Amino acid sequence: MSARPRITLALPKGRLLRPALELLRRMGVRDIPGPESRRLIWEDPDRGLRVLILKPADIPTYVEYGAADLGIVGKDILLEQAPDVYEPLDLGFGLCRLVVAEPRELWERDDPSKWAWVRVATKYPTLTERYFSERGVQVEVIRLDGSIELAPLVGLAERIVDLVASGETLRENGLVEVAEIVRSTARLIVNRAALKTAHGAVSRLLEEMKAEVRG
Amino acid sequence: MSAIERPGFSTQLPKGVQLYLPDEAARKRHVEGRLLEVFRLWGFREVITPSYEYFDVLAVGTDEALQERMFKLVDRETGRMLALRADITPQLARIAATRLRDRPKPLRLAYVTNVFRYEEPRVGRHREFYQAGVELIGLPKPEADTEMIAMAIEGFRALGLDRFQIDVGQVEFFRGILETLAPDGATARALREALRRKDAAELERLVGALGPPPATGDLLLALPSLYGRAEVLERAAKLVNNPRSERALENLVEIHRLLTAYGLVEHIILDLGEVRGFDYYSGVAFEGYVAGLGAELCGGGRYDHLLGRFGPPCPATGFAFDVDRLLLALEAQGVEVPVRGPEVFIIDFTEDKTAALALSRRLRGLGLAVARDIISRGLEESIAYAREIRAGRVLVIGAPGAAAGTARVLDLATGRETVWTLAELLARPERLIEPLPAAGGVRA
Repeated sequence: MSARPRITLALPKGRLLRPALELLRRMGVRDIPGPESRRLIWEDPDRGLRVLILKPADIPTYVEYGAADLGIVGKDILLEQAPDVYEPLDLGFGLCRLVVAEPRELWERDDPSKWAWVRVATKYPTLTERYFSERGVQVEVIRLDGSIELAPLVGLAERIVDLVASGETLRENGLVEVAEIVRSTARLIVNRAALKTAHGAVSRLLEEMKAEVRG
Repeated sequence: MSAIERPGFSTQLPKGVQLYLPDEAARKRHVEGRLLEVFRLWGFREVITPSYEYFDVLAVGTDEALQERMFKLVDRETGRMLALRADITPQLARIAATRLRDRPKPLRLAYVTNVFRYEEPRVGRHREFYQAGVELIGLPKPEADTEMIAMAIEGFRALGLDRFQIDVGQVEFFRGILETLAPDGATARALREALRRKDAAELERLVGALGPPPATGDLLLALPSLYGRAEVLERAAKLVNNPRSERALENLVEIHRLLTAYGLVEHIILDLGEVRGFDYYSGVAFEGYVAGLGAELCGGGRYDHLLGRFGPPCPATGFAFDVDRLLLALEAQGVEVPVRGPEVFIIDFTEDKTAALALSRRLRGLGLAVARDIISRGLEESIAYAREIRAGRVLVIGAPGAAAGTARVLDLATGRETVWTLAELLARPERLIEPLPAAGGVRA
């Protein structure tokens, strides 16, 4: 007997998906597809929970517009997009840092305190602009969608702003971290109306997740 | 060369404004009409305020963030800065404190109007948008706030919306905590911002850095989860530890009691951690939400100190609906809004149009909308046009092959039709909107 889905949760593809699914599994959510599955939508009918799997950068939009009631997404994306949603829970996993990096040769003779104008390739134009302008540095942002670390190698930009977890990718591409902009972990976000109009169901899920994360 | 042929010319609208074509305009008027009717039934009377005023006057009573987002222009005559209204409440507060200051209280004022703000357009957020609201001026009592919430609920109901919730908070509760902590301006803003997002992690970081007395820290950390039904009041009562927050809580308890007495409590969510809304709020503040739309559809609250900035102090409370968001909500909830064209569309094939003219006049006299097909074209084309303008019935006079002195009536919704003589119709034109017999009468 399948109940009508009461709430919709959006999960991000990519590095946060595995720990997010693991969290749901620990909470006892059923019918979770395996990590190799390509299914982008599934349900736990007993809980009235529907799960969508989306591109991480789309999750704030889905939740803000109410196409999903809740979502799991990195703090980096929330800071970049500043969606009007509630953000009640730091899930703790998916720790990474948004950093400024540059090629080792440049770094050896560079003095960040003397920066007046920089050209930076990034997926995070808003955070990048804010970071540099707060320090009185003019910035030309080159917006890219992936493989940011290649930009200095091909002369597209001298520096990059990108997310690092272990720093391995930077090292492999001959880049050195110059400054940390912000630390990021996965957050639970909630549509503002959903918290009020589906108060019972959303609060229960939120409390369960909180218990699991803190436990 | 016409303007649109000029290179680089585009008829595109600027960002953030909207055009309402007849169907959308009809839906918008329907919403506004229903709300004005609710306001009228509660004894509120409409006022109309100017679209722009001197900026420095509008700036009194609005917070800086809103002043930043006002559309500004220069007055050619005085050189003074003008601004388009970005919020009606300060405008009405000023009018109440000046022009209406000696009128007996309470004042019950209503409005439906456009408001202008520079906003990044997103879900139901435009730069020119429409608000329908009320201000209740001169009453300090919780009953007045309850009346506002009850009217908001009635507004939702009058529009046929269900699954809505009113989120009720009390801004003084958080201010009481802030007062005991006395943080610097930046920290206070950061605390407010974290609460706005119910960001427990950030709040924990900020509280850790502040190092407040444990009881105050606990209260602050509990704020993002102090929302829900009546039990919130008990949880808050156990945590509250300063007189200002205590008074706020007592006030909210009283309003909750009144809402229970009104039988409205099923629509109420209490939220002591809600810090959205204008700086001028001074007590209870509330917002209305419906399932499936991420932004509030109405908002309001008590503003006891706003009138005092323009004249003698006077307590006041009020709220407004966002008309565009209500339209989105009606669509999301599948609520049909009647959108109708003229009741009767007359197609007259005769040379001398006296019958059409006489009938039109008679029908309009009865309050029925009548449009005439003045273009000469085939019957099929004329009927297609009548459908396009959402006409109710088509009256065809003197169609080729029809008997002289008769008219054919076609109901576009049911497809039923009948034939009357023109004499019959002129004698009793209201038969044109009466139900037609199932089996068509005499075929023309």
